[in-house]
Amino acid sequence: MIETFSLSKVYDKGVTALSGITTTINDRLTAIIGRNGAGKTTFSRIVSTQLEPTSGSAIIDGLDILRDARRIRKRIVSIPQEASPISVLTPLEQVKLYLVGRGLSIKEAHAETIRVLDAMNMRDFKNSPADTLSGGMKRKIFVCMAIASNADIVFLDEPTTGLDPVSRMEVWSSLGELSGEVILTTHYMEEAQELADRVILFEKGRIIEDGTVENLLSKFRGKVRVECPQLDDYDYRIGNRVIKYVNRKDANEYIGLGCKVKPITLDDIFLSHGVQLEY
Amino acid sequence: MFNLNIRFILLLAWYYGFRTIKRGISYVIYSLTSPLTLLLILLMVNPTFIKLAVAGGFLALVASVALSSAGDAAFLRLELKIQDLYVASTVTQYDYVAGLSLSYLIFSIPGIILYSIIGSLLSIFTLFRAFILILVMMMLIIATSSISYLISGLIKHVRNVWGIAGILSIIMTVLPPTFYPYNLLPNYALYVLMISPVTSASIIVQNAFGFVTPFYLPAIPVLIVETLVYAVMALTLTKWRER
Ligand SMILES: Nc1ncnc2c1ncn2[C@@H]1O[C@H](COP(=O)(O)OP(=O)(O)OP(=O)(O)O)[C@@H](O)[C@H]1O
Ligand SMILES: [Mg+2]
Repeated sequence: MIETFSLSKVYDKGVTALSGITTTINDRLTAIIGRNGAGKTTFSRIVSTQLEPTSGSAIIDGLDILRDARRIRKRIVSIPQEASPISVLTPLEQVKLYLVGRGLSIKEAHAETIRVLDAMNMRDFKNSPADTLSGGMKRKIFVCMAIASNADIVFLDEPTTGLDPVSRMEVWSSLGELSGEVILTTHYMEEAQELADRVILFEKGRIIEDGTVENLLSKFRGKVRVECPQLDDYDYRIGNRVIKYVNRKDANEYIGLGCKVKPITLDDIFLSHGVQLEY
Repeated sequence: MFNLNIRFILLLAWYYGFRTIKRGISYVIYSLTSPLTLLLILLMVNPTFIKLAVAGGFLALVASVALSSAGDAAFLRLELKIQDLYVASTVTQYDYVAGLSLSYLIFSIPGIILYSIIGSLLSIFTLFRAFILILVMMMLIIATSSISYLISGLIKHVRNVWGIAGILSIIMTVLPPTFYPYNLLPNYALYVLMISPVTSASIIVQNAFGFVTPFYLPAIPVLIVETLVYAVMALTLTKWRER
């Protein structure tokens, strides 16, 4: 369980990345979503003891992130958003090294690494130096570390960015097998919708939506999204995309006009907050 | 600090040091070029110092490998985010720094072998001299890796990484008396250069090898204190968790 109290972060140059986040996270898989620069990475780095907050505090399973960092670090794994593998090392070596760092013996680490690389379909590349791997495969090395470490709390900052649909499903399926709590940052709404027991939407360093997917979508209940350029009366306009929410029973009317009709997804929650701020 | 994860330290050093030699031999050649070039120039300008310069070459080599790795440690932190990965795990700063330092030592092995061959051909070694040289080199690796880690912690942007590391390596290894007798330096210059542990290390080696007499004893405590001070500074002033 993670509890934060007025957690704030102001970076060196006066950039406020988090403004007083108070929340409790206790679900099996919590997805953190939000626009670029919303503060998602800052939040997970602070909570996973990689970055000091400017003020406020956070408690993980009763342990304080500042005072009890060493004890917290035994129970968590946190994969940085932009982590890249060391170019001369192979996936086998990188994952094994990480597990030995976490206290496994070389033998245990080796066996566990092989198991996870196989599960993630990395067998054929396990002995190739990382600089010969594709971007997605490099990313998967880190997902393998997270999965292999068997931690109580797993922080994954955009683990599936750049992965093909099959690889993404492999990751999803491995996340399903983890026994611990997962905090997953993502820009893929279908991922959040598919996996998350709870979704937290960040905007400008604050939490602006928080709940189960059904909760969040409930304000759109009975509606669909229509998109067509010729609407005069619309809800949002993003560049030349014009968007309107209408009752499902009225959808046919819009299909007649040549509009595209789409079901409501988390994208729409995103739009309902993000767009007005920018356009 | 007393709970080092030895397995991790050795594995990191093995992977990071040895794999780099094996898979990226150009780095190794690069690490040899600066000391070898100096040696060559010296041979042409003043061959009388050649034995001294070969002994000094060992020191210049390990120091320049460790110091230019300031860029490396900063790169692991800023660009690859490898430090972040390990911060949020049971790996401690001590494990991490020890593993990296040891990998720089492994990294210097090809150069050390090369210098050993040249040194043997010039028959500069005795058992005592070799022993002193190894001892001094170990201290120097610790001191210079510490300086390197300390500096790497101050680097804020990847764009500055290689420049700063290069400057550091030159100031700390080329200026000190590795390739020339320290007694050619005016006293005040010697004292200024003492900021670099390479200076006291060179003095000890030049004395032990009998290139310069009489023995300048203060160099021994200076090297020991410098090594300790730099190591403590590196581990206390450098933040493991980012601020
Ligand atoms: N090291 C840093 N120094 C200064 N400002 C920073 C730093 N890291 C992040 N920021 C700023 O803090 C804010 C939040 O950044 P953060 O990386 O937490 O966003 P994010 O939600 O993870 O975005 P993205 O979806 O692009 O990954 C941004 O305005 C960013 O520019
Ligand atoms: Mg981010």
